[in-house]
Parts: sequence; C-alpha cells; structure tokens
Amino acid sequence: MSWQAAAWLMLGGSTALLFLGLPVAFSFLAINLIGAVLFLGGEAGLVQLARNSVGSVASFSLTPIPLFILMGEVLFHTGLAVKVIDGVERLIRQVPGRLAVVAVVAGTVFSAISGSTIATTAMLGSLMLPVMLARGYHPTMATGPLMAIGAVDMLIPPSALTVLLGSLSGISISKLLIGGVVPGLVLSVFFVIYIIARVKLNPALAPAAAFTEYRGWEKLRPFVQYVIPLVSIFVVVVASMSAGWATPTESAAIGAFFTMVLATLYGSLTRKNLLAALRGTAAISGLILFIILGATTFSQILSFSGASNGLVELISGSGLSPMQVIAAMMLLLIFLGLFVDQVSMMLITLPIYMPLVTKFGVDPVWFGVMFLICMQLGLLLPPHGLLLMTMKGVAPPQVRMGHIFQAVLPYIAMSLIVLALVFFIPAVAVWLPKVLV
Amino acid sequence: MDRLENAYGRLLEVLALAGCALIFAMTLMICADVFLRNVRIVPGLAGLEWANEISEAMLYLLTLLTAPWLLRQGGHIRVDIVLRSVPKAVGWGLEWLVDAMALSCCAVIFYYSARAAFASYSAGSLSIKTLITPEWWLISALPVAFLALTVEIFFRMRRLYLGPRAPRDDAVSTG
Repeated sequence: MSWQAAAWLMLGGSTALLFLGLPVAFSFLAINLIGAVLFLGGEAGLVQLARNSVGSVASFSLTPIPLFILMGEVLFHTGLAVKVIDGVERLIRQVPGRLAVVAVVAGTVFSAISGSTIATTAMLGSLMLPVMLARGYHPTMATGPLMAIGAVDMLIPPSALTVLLGSLSGISISKLLIGGVVPGLVLSVFFVIYIIARVKLNPALAPAAAFTEYRGWEKLRPFVQYVIPLVSIFVVVVASMSAGWATPTESAAIGAFFTMVLATLYGSLTRKNLLAALRGTAAISGLILFIILGATTFSQILSFSGASNGLVELISGSGLSPMQVIAAMMLLLIFLGLFVDQVSMMLITLPIYMPLVTKFGVDPVWFGVMFLICMQLGLLLPPHGLLLMTMKGVAPPQVRMGHIFQAVLPYIAMSLIVLALVFFIPAVAVWLPKVLV
Repeated sequence: MDRLENAYGRLLEVLALAGCALIFAMTLMICADVFLRNVRIVPGLAGLEWANEISEAMLYLLTLLTAPWLLRQGGHIRVDIVLRSVPKAVGWGLEWLVDAMALSCCAVIFYYSARAAFASYSAGSLSIKTLITPEWWLISALPVAFLALTVEIFFRMRRLYLGPRAPRDDAVSTG
C-alpha cells in the first residue's frame, strides 16, 4: 500500500469515525485494529497492539494528569476556591466592570492552583455569574470574562493537558509548564484592559454598584488568610521542580498532597468532599488516559506504514519556509479546535508535526506553547468549545447560547493576538523556561 | 434484565471506587518517595526506589478500572456535530452503527489481549525493571477490562433500544 493510501486510511479514517460519533478512544482503537492487520503483520500485529497498550499509559510522565486534576477538584469541592474570590474582591477598588475584573484576577490566581479548566469555569460561573447578572451586567459582559479566564487555566501551571502535550510530543514537560506562564498572564492583562475600556465606552454593560469598601486589616484578611497560603501551592510545585528536589511528575504529587493538607488545616476537607474530588479526578483522568491507551499504536502505525515520513517529506519539500509551515500548522489546529477536543487534536497532529519541528530545527518549547494557545482557543471556539457548554450548564435560563457565543468573540480575538505575539516574539514563551529550568 | 443491569452498574461503581483509592495511594506514595529521598530520616533508605514503577502500574489500572464506569456514565468523549445535525431518527440509527463498531473493537481486543496474556504466561516472560514481575500480571488486566466494556456496550445498546429515538447526550470534550 502506498504511503498516500496509508495516510488517508489512518488520518482520514480516524477523522471519519470521530465525526460519525464514535467515542474518541474507540475511534482510535478501531483504526489501530485495521492498521495493525494491514501494516503490523495481521494477527501478530493485533497481539502486539494489545501488548503495546500496557506501556502506553503505564508511564511515569503521565502521572501528573490525575494529580493536577485532583488539586483543582479538592479546591472546588472543599469550597476553598470561593475564598480566593473573596480575598481578591476586597483588594480591587472601584473600576469600570469591577466584578468582571475581579473574576479575571481571581480566575488567574485560581489557575495557578488548579489543573482543570472545567473546575475554574464552573466555580467562577456558579459563584460570580448570578451576582453579576443581579447587578445588571449584560449577559455578554458577565459570561465572556469567566469563560476566557477559564481557558487561560490551561496555560498557567499546573495544567493536566500541558503534561499530556509534553508527554506525547517529547517536549520538556517542565519547560512547557513554565513556558505557558507569561502568555497566560499577558492574556489576563489584556482581558482586564479590554473590560475596563469596553465598560468605559458603554457603561450600561456593567452598571457601577455600591460595594463595601474594607479598610486596614479587614481589607487584607481574606487575602492573607486564604489566597497567600493557597498560592503557596503553586510556589511549592514550581519551586520543587526548579530546585531539583522533585521531577515535574513528582511535584504534581507534592502539589496535590499540599492542597489536601491545606484543606485539612482549614477544616474544610471531609470524607464526603474528598470522595467527590477523587471521583471527579477519576472521571476526567480516566477518560484522557483511555484515549491515550486507544491511540497508543496510532503514531507507530503511521510511521511504520511510511505515511509519517511521506507527509513530512511532502511538506518539507514544498518550498515553504519553516515559519510558513508552522503558521499553517497553527491554522490547522485552530480549525480542528472548532470540532475536535484537545486530546484528539494532539493525537491526530503530533505524529506529523513533531518530525517537522525536528526537521526544521524549530525550538520545541516555542512550538509547544503556541500549540497550547491553539488548544486554549479550541476551548472557546463555537459551536463546540467545552467552556461555552460549561458556562451554559451553570448559567440561568435568561443567558442564551447566542449571548455566550457573542460574549466569547473578543476574547478569541485577544487569544489570536497573543498567539501572533508568541509567533513573532518567541521570547514571550521561551524566556521564562530558560531562566527557571 | 433491569436487575442484572443495575447490579452490573454497582459493580462498575466499585471498580471506579478502586480507581479513586489508587489515585489517593499514588499521591501519598510519590510524596513519601520525594520526602525520603531529600530528607534522609531513615538510615540507608534514600527514597522508595520502586515508587515510579508502582505508580505506572497504578495509572494503567486506573485507566482500565474507570473505562467501563465512564461508558455507563456516557463519559467517553466524542464529536457529536453530525449526530446533532441530522434528523433525530437518523442520529439514533447512527448510534446503533457506532455501538456495533465499539462492540466489535472491544470484543477483538478482549480476544487478542487474552491471547497476549496467555502467551506471556506460557513463555514465563518477566518484566525486569526495579521490580521483577511476571509480565502477564499487568497484561491480564486488559482482557478483563475489555470484557467489562463489551458487556457494558450490550447494556448500552439495550438502553438505546428502550430509550427515545434520538442520539444520546454523551460528553463531548475534556477539561
């Protein structure tokens, strides 16, 4: 079979099965079974495929996935996440769109202690959206910042999907985790500037409401009592990695343990909410890991059939410059993000993308951070962005899907600007990892 | 049949709870390893050298223990854009096609993974890392999980038959 036919079968076949509605993991399993029969020697290939499945997820580099998710779930289920909002709210004075600004700042802080975008968006949506709507915020001004900052969670460590990207692509996980910090913070700053400017131009979007202005210790108390200790989880994770006490993988366990210890010290960890957090963790990490198990032999079969090499040679011999090829890769990722979830995006594209990155001598951390921004965009892109659905799930009925789609558009534009910023100024992504790791 | 399906659901819940216990144990074990490696409080013990290997096995078992439970919850993500854009009856028909494919996949993998486990057992193959263990110990979890998935797909098809003539509301994305 020619490499072109193999590429069509493997890449086209898996995409067709995905769109037919077969769960992602089973789509990859099905196409791998066919690939194993055709390219790995029939029955022997099928037995080999089964043996490969064990090694696919029995990998120490994947252990941060459940552990980072556990951190977010513990904070969410114990109610400690709420304290972050309270602590940040008291510090922010009267600015246009104050509550939306509070949501972005609190969301950024929460991103640094949670490894789950759903936990962040659901927490902010369920707590802040009703307050904003009750104070007369337009649904687009109330929902947009919450979804946008939820997506930024993926860029700011800890992030389960960043670990997965590092593990599947072979890019340094610790460099990727730290590489997402600056673009994530830049996005948060852009969001705040946008909210203030937008509300100044049209104050009806977020009517100014009276709020209790605390003075002295009362203003700082929740910040010192809750936010600083909780943010210390982030410091512990990054410091243990940077200082060489623990590998990135192990630092995830330290972060999860430290989160549980803090929750215990605050008296908010009960057997019931610990179990709820563990169940949430098992559900999200179980589904990600099962997709990896299903897709394990996919890149091997692509490579064995000659499809990977064929495609890489075709693209590298097309006369396009490396920058043009990278730009095209990002555009394809953004397009995939319209329909496909983040794990599938990685599994479909990385077997072709990474050999190209190596061939062109591109900085893998720079490439990886742009990949992350594209995946973060995928969380926000209509019609299937996960965070749009999460927001609809927690929003009251007066917030329609149309509001949510409209609300997210400026934040998509800002994410595209940051993507372009990283593309043209790689230091935005690679400076901090070079300094810290 | 309802009682059987409910009992099977409870079994899947127990498997998922075992998965939760693995996550908790993994967290504690890795922390103990890092602590003992950096703070030499026990003479001659510089960390738990087997911790990485056991964590890997736990991750693998977590995946297999939760997979059938997630299928019961409709938690295995998929792209449902086509299912939602066709008439409900057609979407329902596509669900049958999709279930048939998933069933075939799971049955085939059950068979070949059982063969792989048996071949490994017969050959006495060993996994030689920090710990030396028979290779079939881990491989044999694979046919068990895929058998559980195969059975759950049968129940899933039954629910599809008894339910409304429309596509299911399964999960569509990860977080």
